[in-house]
Amino acid sequence: MTALAVARLESRRLRVRPLGWVLAALTLAWLAWNFTLLLGSFLSTQVQRAALPDGPGFTDLVAVPLLAQLAQLAFVVVPLLGMSMLAGERRNGTLPLLFAAGLSPSRIVLGKYLALVGWLALWLLLTLAMPLALAGSTDLDFGKLAAATLGLALMLATLAAITLACSSFAPHPAIAAAVALVIGLALWSVNLGAQMAGLNGGVINWIAMSSHLQPMLRGLVSSADVLWFVLAAALALALAIRRLAGEKERG
Amino acid sequence: MTSINSDVRAPLLQLDRISRRRAGRPAVSELSLTLERGQVIGLLGVNGAGKSTTLSMIAGALRPDSGAIRLDGHDFLEQPELARERIGWLPERAPVWAELNVEEHLDAHGRLRGLRGTALRQAREAIIERLELDTLRRRLAGVLSQGQRQRLGLACALLHKPALLVLDEPGNALDPVQVAALRALIHEQADAGTAVILSTHLLAEVTATCDRVAILHEGRLHHDGEVHADDHAALEQTFFGIAMHGATAPAQAA
Repeated sequence: MTALAVARLESRRLRVRPLGWVLAALTLAWLAWNFTLLLGSFLSTQVQRAALPDGPGFTDLVAVPLLAQLAQLAFVVVPLLGMSMLAGERRNGTLPLLFAAGLSPSRIVLGKYLALVGWLALWLLLTLAMPLALAGSTDLDFGKLAAATLGLALMLATLAAITLACSSFAPHPAIAAAVALVIGLALWSVNLGAQMAGLNGGVINWIAMSSHLQPMLRGLVSSADVLWFVLAAALALALAIRRLAGEKERG
Repeated sequence: MTSINSDVRAPLLQLDRISRRRAGRPAVSELSLTLERGQVIGLLGVNGAGKSTTLSMIAGALRPDSGAIRLDGHDFLEQPELARERIGWLPERAPVWAELNVEEHLDAHGRLRGLRGTALRQAREAIIERLELDTLRRRLAGVLSQGQRQRLGLACALLHKPALLVLDEPGNALDPVQVAALRALIHEQADAGTAVILSTHLLAEVTATCDRVAILHEGRLHHDGEVHADDHAALEQTFFGIAMHGATAPAQAA
C-alpha cells in the first residue's frame, strides 16, 4: 500500500508541474500534425493500393508509423519527465522524509516507477486515440495495432526504469536526463555497425532495443522480445533500489 | 494499517552504543540514551556535534554503522516500518515538496504514514486548526516563508499522532509568538504521553520545554541529566564547559 501512496504523491507532483503538460502538449501536437500528414498521404495513394492484393493498409501506413514516431520522441520525453524523481528529491532534501516514513527503497522506487509509467500510458493512449478515432471508417488491423502498442508500452516502461536508475545515481536531475538519453540511444543503436556489416544475429543484435521493438511494430510478438524488455526494466529498477538502499546506509 | 504491539514496560526509545561516520569522520560515537513516554529531552551541542545525525538515525532516515535502536521494545533497525506509525520527524530546515499546496502536503504525509479516507481528513483538519494553517491551506509549499514551512513540517510530523516526536531545531525562523506556541504544543504532546526529543542551539529553549538535557560534543554524549526551568545558569555553565573545553568525560549509558 505504501508504494501506492508514493505513486499517488508522485502522480500529483507530475500533474501540477508544468513540464509534464508542456511536453504532452508539444509532443501530441507534433504527433497530431504528423497523423494528418500520414493520413493525407494514405488517402492520396489509396486508389492505386486498392489494386494490390495484401497491400499495406491504414494500420501499416498510418497507425504504426505514428507509434514509431512516438517511440522516437520517447527517448527525450521519458528522461525529461523522470529526471527529478530521485535526483530532485535528493537535492531538495525530501528523500529522507520517505525513508523516515518507514518505506523500503524498493517501495519508493516502485511507487515512483508506477507514477511515471501511468503518465506514459496516458501519453500512449492519447496517441493511440488518433488512429482509433477512424476505426469506424477504415479497416484497422487490430492484431497488428495491439502488437505495436504492446511493443511501445514495453519500450516506454523500459525507458522509464532506465531514467529512474539514472536519477538514483545522478547528483542533479539534468545529469540524470542526459545520461538516460545517452543510454537509451546507445541501447537502441548498439547494433547499427553490425547491421551495416551485414550481421543480423549474435549478441550485439540481441542487446539492441531496436531488434526487439521492430518485430512488434510489424505485428510479431515473441516471448523472447517481451522478456528482453522485462529483463532490461527489472535490471534498471534493481540498480535504482540498490543505489537507494546504499544511500540510506551511507547517508 | 500494520499494527505492532507495544511493550509498555520497555522505554519508548533506547539507543545502545550507536555510531555513525559521515564524510569520513565519526559524526556520532557510541551514543547510548533512553527516553520514556511523556518525557521531553533536549539535545544540545555546537555545530557539528552530531545532533542532526543522531535525530536522523532515531527518525529512521539514516542507519547507524553500529549499535542498536529499540523502539517500544522492538529492534527498530530490523523493523524500520515501525517509524510509519510511531515516529513523527521534523528535519532541520523542514524540506517540502514545493509543487504541492499545504493541504496536499498533509494528505501525502498522511498516506505515507498509513492514514486513509475519513481518518486522514479528520487528522488533517485537526492539525490545520491546531497549528493555525487554515489561511495557508491552498498555498504552495514552495512559496511559504521559512517560519511557515517550519509550521507545515511540524504539522506533518504530528499528523498521525506519533508516540515519539523528533524535532530538529523546531524553533528555527519562528517569531517569539510562534516560539511560545511551539513550547505550549510540546508540553501538550508530553502531557498526552508523547515522548519528544528536540535539538536546539538555544539553552533557554531547553530550560523552558525539557525535562532532561543531553549534551553532545564531537559525536559523544558528555552530559545526560534532568533540567528544570530555573536551571539556566547551571545548564549554561555545563554547556560552555563542554563546548569550549570538552570538560567532563563522556557520559555512561543512561
